Amino acid sequence: MRLDPVDAVVIGAGAGGGVVAKELAGAGFRVALLERGRLQKYSETGHDELRSQRTTVLGNAFGPDDERHLRLVRLGDDNEFRETLPSEGSYGNVAACVGGGTFSFGAMAWRFLEKDFRMRSTYGAPEGSTLEDWPIAYADLEPFYSKAEWEIGVSGKAGANPFEPPRSKPYPMPALPYSKEGSVLLTAAQRLQWHPFPIPMLINSVAYRGRPGCIRCPHCVGFACESHSKSSTAVTVIPEAVKTGLCDLRTECVAKEILTDGRGNASAVAYFQGSELREQPCRFVVVSASATESPRLLLNSKSRLHARGLGNNSDWVGRNLQGHAYSGAYGLFPQDLFDGLGPAACIAVCDFNHGNPGLRGGARMANEFIRLPYLFARSVRPPGAPRWGLAHKQFQRDRYKRCAGIKGPVQEMPVFTNRVEVEENRKDHWGIPVAKITGKRHPHDIEIGRFIAGRAAQWLEEAGAEQVWTTVAGKGSTGGQHQAGTCRMGNDPKTSVVDRTCRVHQTDNVYVVDGSVHVTNGGFNPALTILATAYWASHHIVSQQRKAQA
Amino acid sequence: MKRRSFVALPATAALAAPKYKTLTEAEAAIVIALTEAIIPADKDPGAKEAGVVQFIDTQLAGPLKRYRPRYRRELPIIDEACRAATGKPLALLQLSERTAFLEQVDKGEIAGGPFFQLIVDHTMQGFYGAPKHGGNRDAASWKMMGIEKAMGYHGGHR
Ligand SMILES: Cc1cc2nc3c(=O)[nH]c(=O)nc-3n(C[C@H](O)[C@H](O)[C@H](O)COP(=O)(O)OP(=O)(O)OC[C@H]3O[C@@H](n4cnc5c(N)ncnc54)[C@H](O)[C@@H]3O)c2cc1C
Repeated sequence: MRLDPVDAVVIGAGAGGGVVAKELAGAGFRVALLERGRLQKYSETGHDELRSQRTTVLGNAFGPDDERHLRLVRLGDDNEFRETLPSEGSYGNVAACVGGGTFSFGAMAWRFLEKDFRMRSTYGAPEGSTLEDWPIAYADLEPFYSKAEWEIGVSGKAGANPFEPPRSKPYPMPALPYSKEGSVLLTAAQRLQWHPFPIPMLINSVAYRGRPGCIRCPHCVGFACESHSKSSTAVTVIPEAVKTGLCDLRTECVAKEILTDGRGNASAVAYFQGSELREQPCRFVVVSASATESPRLLLNSKSRLHARGLGNNSDWVGRNLQGHAYSGAYGLFPQDLFDGLGPAACIAVCDFNHGNPGLRGGARMANEFIRLPYLFARSVRPPGAPRWGLAHKQFQRDRYKRCAGIKGPVQEMPVFTNRVEVEENRKDHWGIPVAKITGKRHPHDIEIGRFIAGRAAQWLEEAGAEQVWTTVAGKGSTGGQHQAGTCRMGNDPKTSVVDRTCRVHQTDNVYVVDGSVHVTNGGFNPALTILATAYWASHHIVSQQRKAQA
Repeated sequence: MKRRSFVALPATAALAAPKYKTLTEAEAAIVIALTEAIIPADKDPGAKEAGVVQFIDTQLAGPLKRYRPRYRRELPIIDEACRAATGKPLALLQLSERTAFLEQVDKGEIAGGPFFQLIVDHTMQGFYGAPKHGGNRDAASWKMMGIEKAMGYHGGHR
């Protein structure tokens, strides 16, 4: 079925797509916003650990479902690709619902640092890495970071982090308070002469823009927010886009391919609504389907002028898949630290993001979100501790409230062969070729991981932990929760997929706006940078497409 | 089936609802014996008291149904291995002897390690997950950890 034309089709109502839809509709463009998932409510899922975004043993509360989706995944030293379902960890799932990852994320709201945009000039690329500078600088993005913080809503304390580059505006809301654990870690970091500060959060600390302040339940990460205080795109920019009357949010609509005209430009998007294939003609297309699904869609959009997939003449689409090499430490304390108050993760330092001797980059370090009882039982034990039996039970009973974790999302070195491909011979429920993922970390990531784990242990020991052990990222990586990098932004079409405005090099009217465009992924959780880049890209898309229409 | 023969079923059979959805009574006895050793009772309830077998049975009919063939195949094998090693089936062995046997399985000294580790994982899910999934009866594990309030448990199902 061929539909009446619109100006723009935006594919994916997650972090990037939500912002673009709102900016385009606000500028007067008619937008069709396609989202494969549904609009979800807190009451449907509650705080059920076994069906959360972190623990999917009984299924993915926020999608996608195991029945209709599949990926082929090869990690670390694996030779073979393995068929992998969304509820398995190695699938690298983020979510499939309105709001995308932001609906159930932890909501840390980090700006990257200046050096994070200039990794190659700062450090040089290690052998085996495509480490590169972004074609834009922190200063280019700064106004859009501020816009994201004010329009979507971030709580934080401006000036508290001495490593943060200049900002044009303070945060719109004060920081959330430190928990009991946070207070203990605060004084320890001060004694070490580090520079601790409250983590900026995409959570209302006070009522803001029609949504209430946080009720301080501890279940931010992995769940929907019961008080709508978490600033997901599902409760901020997306409803605002719809309110303009110009944005048609179409849920349970799965984009299949982008159709192109004789000059290689997009003319329409083919998508499934149920089992019906529809064709939505448009003037331009924005792909915001996440760092795995966006390259998959481009690679599945083949035509005469894009024989290897849309924007893939140089074979860069899907390359440089990154995530974070999370590393850190746990400590057991003589006293209770648990106070049951959210958002639990509350204190951080940026002393080790850069300037670590012999290392290229590093990570912010922060205390962890709540570890729910099952996850605690499975993953938080000192080496060699019994995993079952009476000793297991005693540890769970006596140590749960006396345990703190410090972790850092170690910035990964991009690797050309870490990639998303499509497998023509394996199809999903709709008959669309599935994504095929290869992920093997660069050895340097693990060196940095070891260093960060050591600093985390030092922090916990200073805070009075009786027993401390470290956890260092392994070789295998899929991008996972923080997936990025697969449609690199760059000035040279031979070594990147989109230009500095997020437009696909070989087209006039196809854009990629999500984590895919990150050249490098910072030593930080990526969502605020994705949101800021989406505001930056929207600014350029509006002016380019107004010109094209005139 | 003819309607008449259905109506003619003896009253007792119609009334006694089966206790389990997927497990046979014999399989359930082995699961109870295993999970009881994995999380034993002490001053707080263990997996048996918290009904972890109900969790496993219910989930094998739902999200964990892909493991059903494995349970069917391997429960008799581990029980037989126990009989071979100790002279008794799992369910008739004292808890301390059962634990000693399972430690050998876990270490790989007796075959069956991977299946045992799967049951360990499912036991943890059942014991620590939400009571509504069938395992953590009366939020026993959350009360033991002193976190029932943070977990939003105010009695009833959640
Ligand atoms: C448990 C968890 C915790 C996290 N915590 C944090 C945190 O504290 N701070 C932080 O910065 N980041 C966090 N993240 C990461 C953050 O959520 C992601 O980086 C971010 O959402 C990615 O944005 P995106 O626009 O690239 O993609 P997404 O947000 O994933 O959006 C992509 C959207 O496209 C849709 N889609 C995909 N394919 C199609 C198709 N073919 N047709 C139609 N629609 C499609 C998807 O359903 C999805 O809604 C967390 C992630 C997880 C999973």
